[in-house]
Parts: sequence; C-alpha cells; structure tokens
Amino acid sequence: MNQSRCSLKFVRVLCGILLAGHSGVLLWGQLSAIDLDGKSTNPLAVSGDKIAVLIFLRRDCPVSGRYAPIIQRLNQRYADRASFSLVFPDRADTPDEIRKYLENYGYHLPALRDPQHELVKLAGVEITPEAAVFDRHRRLVYEGRIDNTYVDVTRTRPEPTTHELDDAIQSALAGKPVAAKEVRGVGCYIADLE
Amino acid sequence: MLHRRSGIAPPRCRILARTLALLGVILTAAALPNFQLQRAASAASIPGQVTFNKDIAPIMFRSCAACHRPGEAAPFPLLSYADAKKHAHQIADVTRDKSMPPWLPEPQPLKFADEMRLTPGEIDLIQRWVEQGALEGNPSDMPPPPQFPEGWRLGKPDLVLQAEKPFVLQPQGTDTYWNFIFRVPITETRWVKAVEIRPGDKRYVHHANILIDRDESSRRREAQPGAGFGGMEIRIESQAFEPDSHLLFWKPGSVPSVEPEGMALQLNKGADLILNTHMQPSGKTEIIQPSLGLYFTAHPATKLPMLFQLEDDDKLDIAAGQHNFPVTDEFILPVDVNLLAIYPHAHYLGKDIEAWATLPDGTRETLIHIPHWNLSWQAVYRYAEPVLLPKGTTVNMRYVYDNSEENPLNPNHPPLRVKGGNRSSDEMCHLWLQVLPVNFDPTQGDPRRLLEESLAAHDVKNDPSNFEAHYNLAAMLQARGQLDDAVSEYEAALRLRPDDAVANNAMGAALLANGRPQQAIAFLAAAVEARPDYFDAHYNLGNALAQLANFEGALRQFRLAIQEQPKDANAEANLGSALAELGRFGEAKSHFERALKIDPNHSLARENLEEIQRTMKRQ
Repeated sequence: MNQSRCSLKFVRVLCGILLAGHSGVLLWGQLSAIDLDGKSTNPLAVSGDKIAVLIFLRRDCPVSGRYAPIIQRLNQRYADRASFSLVFPDRADTPDEIRKYLENYGYHLPALRDPQHELVKLAGVEITPEAAVFDRHRRLVYEGRIDNTYVDVTRTRPEPTTHELDDAIQSALAGKPVAAKEVRGVGCYIADLE
Repeated sequence: MLHRRSGIAPPRCRILARTLALLGVILTAAALPNFQLQRAASAASIPGQVTFNKDIAPIMFRSCAACHRPGEAAPFPLLSYADAKKHAHQIADVTRDKSMPPWLPEPQPLKFADEMRLTPGEIDLIQRWVEQGALEGNPSDMPPPPQFPEGWRLGKPDLVLQAEKPFVLQPQGTDTYWNFIFRVPITETRWVKAVEIRPGDKRYVHHANILIDRDESSRRREAQPGAGFGGMEIRIESQAFEPDSHLLFWKPGSVPSVEPEGMALQLNKGADLILNTHMQPSGKTEIIQPSLGLYFTAHPATKLPMLFQLEDDDKLDIAAGQHNFPVTDEFILPVDVNLLAIYPHAHYLGKDIEAWATLPDGTRETLIHIPHWNLSWQAVYRYAEPVLLPKGTTVNMRYVYDNSEENPLNPNHPPLRVKGGNRSSDEMCHLWLQVLPVNFDPTQGDPRRLLEESLAAHDVKNDPSNFEAHYNLAAMLQARGQLDDAVSEYEAALRLRPDDAVANNAMGAALLANGRPQQAIAFLAAAVEARPDYFDAHYNLGNALAQLANFEGALRQFRLAIQEQPKDANAEANLGSALAELGRFGEAKSHFERALKIDPNHSLARENLEEIQRTMKRQ
C-alpha cells in the first residue's frame, strides 16, 4: 500500500538529514507528533508531489500570533502544491487550548502537538514562529523565519523586505536550491519550553 | 439715548493652537508596583549560583510585573518561576540589548520620575541565571508577590466616559492611528486632578494621548457622530488664550497620578476630549473601545503650567539614503520657569534625539538624550524634581534622522525623499516641554503670554512662511494692546492664506478694536464668506456695521450669529440694540429679555432694557 512506499522513502531521506549534520532522528513509526485527536501523525507523509511546510508556533508568543494572516495567505497561495501544518511544541498545551487558538486566529490548517520536540529537532528550528520546508524528496531545504517583518521583539518594519519562507517554497517547488537555508527568526525560544 | 458704542460687546477672535503632535501633561507616570523590595543579600547555597527565587524574582516583580501580568499590556505574565522559565532566553536577550524594560533615555544627572531601567548588575544577574540553566532555587528565598490594585487605580472615578463606537483593528497591516472623541457631559467648568486612560485593549494599543478640544472643532472630521477619525497627528483650534497645560499620556505600564494641589486641569462645559491612539495589529481582528476615568477637585488651578513646543519641521527635507540628517532649534526663555516634563516626538526616521539647556551662567544641562529613538515606545518623561530654568536660558534641540536603507523602520523601501508633515510617512521634529512660570510679578500680567509671544516670534523667525506663527504672534500683540503691530502680523498671515476664515475674522476684530470699522468690514465679510456658519465673524461683522450706523445690516448679522449659537447673551443683547436703534422697541425688548434669561448678570442688556422701557413710556 501507499504508506509503506512513503516510509521507505522517508527513512532514506532521514539518512540524508543526518549526514547534513542535523540532529533529528525520526524513524517511521517512532514519530511522537500527535494531532489534536491524540493520534500519532506524520506531517511529512503527504500525498503526491506536494512539498511539506511546518510552521512552529507558541500560543503565548505575540510574534506567532501576528503572523497568522501571512501564514494563511501563503497556505492559500500554495494549497494545491504544498501541505502546511502548524506545530505547537509547548507540551503544556492541551488540544482544546490549541483549538481555541486556531479559532481565534481563523486558521483552517491541520495542527499538531510536538511535546517531545521531535519535529523541532528534525527541522532544527529554535524560535517561534519559524518554518521548515521539506521538498518532494522529504529533504529539509529551509528552516527559519517567515520574513523579516520583525527587527527584534520590540521593532517591526512597516513591510517585510525579505520573504524567506515564500522564496524557499518557490525554490522547492521548482526543484531549485534554496538561496538561504537557515535564517534565524525573531520571537520566542523553543528551548525555554524544555 | 442708547449705549450705542459701549452697548456692543467686544469683538472676539480665536487663537489657533500650535500643531499638537501627540499631546499629552503629566497626569501619568510609569508604573511601579506599590511595594518595597526586600533585596536581602542572602548567602547563596552554592557560591555564584543564581536562582530565580533569590535573585531574579525581585527584579521581575519590581521592573516587569506591572505590565507582565494578566489584563495588562505585555503578552505574557512574569509573576512566577514557571512564567519566567518559559521565556528565559528571551528575557536574557531583551534585557541585554536594553529593549526591555522599555526606557529610551540615557542615564543623565537630571533624573526622571519612575525610571524603568535595570542596573548593569541586574542585567548581568539575568544573563548568568539563564546561562546556568534558569534554576528555581530555594522556595524560602522567594519574595512576596507584588500586589496591584484591582479596577480603577485611583478608586471610583467621578466621571467615566466610554468611546461611543469601538474601532475594529484589522488583523494585519502596519501601525494604525485612530482618534476617539469623548463628549464630556458637564454643565459647568470642572477641575480635573487626574485622568485614568483605559485604552481599550492594552495589548494592542501602544500609546494614547488626550487632547482637549474646547470648540468641538474635531467633530467635523467624524464620518458619523461618535465614529472617531483616523490620523496620526491632529490639530485643534482653541478659543481665546487657553494654552495647553498638561500632557495626558498613556503607555504600557502607565498608572494615573494625581496633579499637585493647585495644578488641576480646567475642563470647560462643551469641551471634547480627543484620545489619539497608536495601535499595532495582533494577527486577528481586535475590538478597541477605550474609556476614560476623570477625577475632579473642587479647587481651581492656582498654578498655571503651560506646554510649549520647539520644532522646525520646515527644515525637514531628507534626501533618500541620508544616514545622518540633523535638525536643530533653540529658544531663549523670556521668564523663569520650572521645567516639569518633556516629550520628544519624531516618526520612523528619527535616530538620535537630544535636548539640552544652556543656563545664563553657561552651564550645560542635558534635558534628555535618546540615542536610539523608537516611535513605538515614545513617552512623556516627567522630571523627579522640577528643573529651574532661569530667564535667558537657551533650550536647544538636536534631532538626527536616518533615511537610509539601513534604518529598518524606514517606511519607504527603497528610501524616498521625506519632508515634514502630519502623516506617519512624513517626518516630525517636535519637542514639547511642560513648564510652570515662577518668580514673576503677577501685576505684570500672565507670564504665559510672554512665553507664547516669544515662541510665536521665534517661529516667525524660523519660518517666515509659517501662517500659524504669524497668526499667534498677532493674537498676542493684540491681547497686549499693540494693535498696529497686531494688524501687520495678521496682514502677514493673510498674505500666506488670503481666504482663511479665522485670520480674516481676527484681522477684522483687531481693526474694529482699533476704531477702524470701515476697514474691518471687508475682512469680516471675507470670513463669513469662507465659513458661513462662523458665529464669531457674523457677530463681529454685526458690530462693525452697527458702528457705522448700518443697523439693518447689523441685525441681519446678529440674527445669523444667533442661528449658530442660540444661547449667546451678547449676540441677543446686540440684536436688541440694533432693533432699538431702528425704533423697533417691542422686538428689541424681547431680545434684551432673552439675553437676561441666558445671563441674568448681563448689565448692558439690563441697562438697555430699562432705557427702552423709559423711552416706550415717554412715547
């Protein structure tokens, strides 16, 4: 069946990730990311030719909140070619709290809890909000900020002048290398949730 | 037979307010929790080990918790170890780069009240705490949590006003500026000793200022009554000589403070309070509906502070790409003053902002220095103690702007040439000072007039094309009785704006007061034409025509004036006088009576009424 093919591909890709120096070790079947109904789930196991985009958010992070319209616009633009998932790494978050948050910000996107930070490690993200883009071969091609709206937590540009996530999605869809593979975001540290 | 000349109440004119950037007096202060810290230097269980309970909690409770608690401006609480641990690295970053607590001025000898600055030792402790793993420590080391009053900070207000309609803040976009108009339901002059500004939702309103609109002039800008109106900078016309006196400012962490005895703010019947707010989007739709709590005192003001502004927006013409564009201004104080507070204001290109005073003996005192300007954290800074600046002191300002690509807050990408103006994409260089004139001789008149006149003269010199400056200088000269000088300043103003209703009216009023009604008529007629609903101009034109014995014309103008303001005793009395002059005693009598109903102490109406009653009896 389809799933086993996916998993084979996935393991192979993970080797690539390890070789590339990332600490994430994610083996099919060991994934502990769970959806809001409590089921284990793999946001990278997406159908067809889609690429996968993970967005890491903290509910208590105002920078995460302010990006909601931008995240949803990107999702709408690429919905047919990219699979977006929101990832909540705070292990104290309950599914109901996350549902409430999605409703408040008008999200229509799948949301996952990542209490063991396995997706965090796989993606190499450090801050919320940050994104990770996996290409069709499930290789991590970008991790970092969405754009440069925030200069630091107290200063924002009137408009972003760089759009790292959008650029990375376009490159991944075109099968081209991403110009900047890792650009640190501004916001709240995931390490503080350890 | 009638008191024809004296029977006409004096001409009126208005004074234009200086452009009020974001105004505010100082009923506010940065918040400090009302408890004293027990900063015991208890011996660490492990030498050099920093723990939350022993070392960090006292800093958080004193310097962070006022905003970082539920219902306040900050996005997350900092009231417990768990709260702080969840943001430990972020706390280390923002304290190291000094963006938190938000306090822009550099340390200086002249201290501000409620300085929100961490000491280098405190910043170092926080860094070490995070490096060592953000440990909790011994529970017995934990200080008692800070206590904050619930509800209105000064108790139940005497009057609570809520914005009539909420503002809907869109989820996305850039900074938003919105003005709410609060109609104040008072029937007589009240004295305000404190105002608590509740900005609606403290998480999204970044700062708010109250301006007083004594003539409902802002209402014209609302699409529907109560709707409010957009705009970052607003300009308000104020009647007669009532210079703004207080900076009513809210920023995150502000708590209302009570004015010292004798320094209450005058609030007249019919005054509107305009709340100018700066909001930032949150990612979702937010409903913002501010309210104000007013606290009154029975004691009228005995000390009259005044706001004055140094500015030279005319010099703001910053080429695209300019890294360091300086603008300077200076002003010599004509009277001794106590400087109470200072409020610098620039927009997104502002970089380094400094003001200083050079005392008559040559001493230089830094008044404020903000080396990294950030509009989002602008504030009114109140001095811990009043700063005496003797007559002859020069107040200097020097603002430096960065219109290059390297300024991340630059509204234009790529940069464009930017000039002075009211839009947020324009620039400003304003410095407001709240001063209290001292050591003056009260028999020599109001010292604030001297300040206002010197400022107007200074503005005219800075920028001969500044209409408001010519106008205000003229008004001051007129008030002091220098009518010829006033007329020539009004002429200068009218050369710049020949159709300005307010200036034409003022010119007419000055000529009228100078015994030149014939010349006054052309200006007053121009004022009425420019603004047909202008009460003052109709009233003054009526007076001018009456002085020339054109009573038919005069009564037409007085009737038009009364249409605009049906409760004006002077207009009713003058209409009565004009009718009496035309021999229409019956009608005249009813208008004198109406004037007396509005103002039972209107002596001219009473005398004229008695006069026509005698005349009618004789007939």
